[in-house]
Amino acid sequence: MKNPDPAAAAAGFGAETPRRVPPTLRLLLVFVLLYGFLVAIKLMGGGIAMMGKETSKGLFSGVSNPFAGLGLGVLATVLVQSSSTTTSTIVSLVGSGVLTVRSAVPMIMGANIGTTVTNTLVSVGHVRRSQEFERALAAATVHDFFNVLCVSLLLPLELMTGFLSKTATSLTDVLIVSDGATYKSPIKKAVKAAFNVVVDALEGLGLSGTPLAITVGLLGVALTFLCLIFITRNMRVMISSRLERVINNALGKGGWIGILIGIMVTISVQSSSITTSLLVPMCAAGVLTLENAFPIMLGANIGTTVTALLASLAADSSAGLTIALVHTLFNLVGVVVFYPFPRLRRIPIQLARLLATKASRRPAWLLVYVGVVFILIPLGGWLLLR
Amino acid sequence: MLNWLQTFTRGGDGLREINKRFLEMLQDGRHIFDAAANSLLGGGDPEVIREDLFRTDARINLTEQEIRRGIVVHGTVHGASAFPVLLTMMSLVKDAERVGDYAKNIFDLAALRPDLDPDDVGELTVIKDQVSTLLIRAHGIFKQQDVSTAQDFLKETDGLQNRCDARVEHCIKSSDRSRVTEVLAYRYFKRVASHVGNIVTSVVMPVDMLDYFPGKPMSEQ
Repeated sequence: MKNPDPAAAAAGFGAETPRRVPPTLRLLLVFVLLYGFLVAIKLMGGGIAMMGKETSKGLFSGVSNPFAGLGLGVLATVLVQSSSTTTSTIVSLVGSGVLTVRSAVPMIMGANIGTTVTNTLVSVGHVRRSQEFERALAAATVHDFFNVLCVSLLLPLELMTGFLSKTATSLTDVLIVSDGATYKSPIKKAVKAAFNVVVDALEGLGLSGTPLAITVGLLGVALTFLCLIFITRNMRVMISSRLERVINNALGKGGWIGILIGIMVTISVQSSSITTSLLVPMCAAGVLTLENAFPIMLGANIGTTVTALLASLAADSSAGLTIALVHTLFNLVGVVVFYPFPRLRRIPIQLARLLATKASRRPAWLLVYVGVVFILIPLGGWLLLR
Repeated sequence: MLNWLQTFTRGGDGLREINKRFLEMLQDGRHIFDAAANSLLGGGDPEVIREDLFRTDARINLTEQEIRRGIVVHGTVHGASAFPVLLTMMSLVKDAERVGDYAKNIFDLAALRPDLDPDDVGELTVIKDQVSTLLIRAHGIFKQQDVSTAQDFLKETDGLQNRCDARVEHCIKSSDRSRVTEVLAYRYFKRVASHVGNIVTSVVMPVDMLDYFPGKPMSEQ
């Protein structure tokens, strides 16, 4: 009655393993999904462009006020629980000329704040054990505080000087000049072909004019969301063993290695929420310290910007790449400004610990915090200032 | 840094690593059980093994902590599907750690340099050899996940525990009331055998029935 693969059996104790999809097939699936994602971005941009310049610009006229844009970025990301979806949508809108880079910058920053609500919600799972909950909440909210601090510092600076958008524009020029094929690439051709097929099919169903444009746009949004979910899911399965090994090795390491881990893991799974939500239970259990989890979260902030960069491959104009680069620069600058200096680095950590201590004694603090930071302020900003 | 980067390119199953570390714990446990029991029954100077025994026990404890951390990480990454095996592992590492603790208890007895009854020395030596063999076999059975051998093993473990109980009863009921050391030694050997048995129950029993021997009535467990 010996097990045919004793080592595997001992590792799994003979437990039933879930049905496995061969890795090569899964990888192929990820490529198909990536293609689907680019087509989705094109559909979104194309649908809005089909509405006509006046209509589409009117749709987003409310975000000309940067604080309204910031609020909308937070709200949209809280609602879809994915900054990648929000930023990809923004890239598409900027790429199709509906939004300007300047008005999209606060929205991108808002998406950064909005995405952190996911791990705050994950920490609620530990609420019955106060010590555990305190550690979990501190780990979840350190990311929030860091992003809020970054926006508080960099948004006014950007509004005054435009340093992020100007740098991103210069970088775009350099990238396009050095690689002229970027915007005439085979990828773009392939994406355009699929876009035409979808539009022709919808026209074949009798749609035209504004209904067609709205359908194409909505199809783009839905497809973006679905493709990102399935890319993340498949990548997570594909790299789970490596991920476990990396995390095991990272437990005692912080600093720049932690940042690198955060970047690599997030690029691999295409979701900063996955990376940061993995850290929360480990901090709650006490196997990972807040000081060591913090740099991994900063890395996740940088790693997640790859999705917007990918989306810019399908954008109609170079402005899509510019706003994607703004996203990357914003997160890089945030890390460079806060992380190397221990006093600055400690601010988000101390704020998170303070909130966690209060909320572990009175969980109502968490409700107030989430309600104010993720709903009331952004909603108020958007409704009052648009 | 390079080592760390390699972890990203190399595969590796965390559960296999946990399993490997657990088997190391078992090996260490057997090593210090043998050392302590030989010291008690052989009459040598216990101080000779003190440093090695305590160092090995500290290593067992550290491995237990590392395995627990690994369990948290594995559970976080792999989610609910990994829970049964991880819950089992949480229970097993405690059993393996307890083997180390009992080895220390046996060493503490040896350190008192007791004057053991010659009859009991013979009996304890036989039991000690059997427990030591059980520790080696448990390692193999767990590694191979060999169900039929595990069932035989558990019957044998049960028999050995009964034998220890019988000897304790004999000592207590005998006219010589000063056989405290012998009673404790039988008890400690029985506990080691019991923890080894618990480990092997994982090969044949589901999570909720860990530590219960198959086929044995609940009242006798």
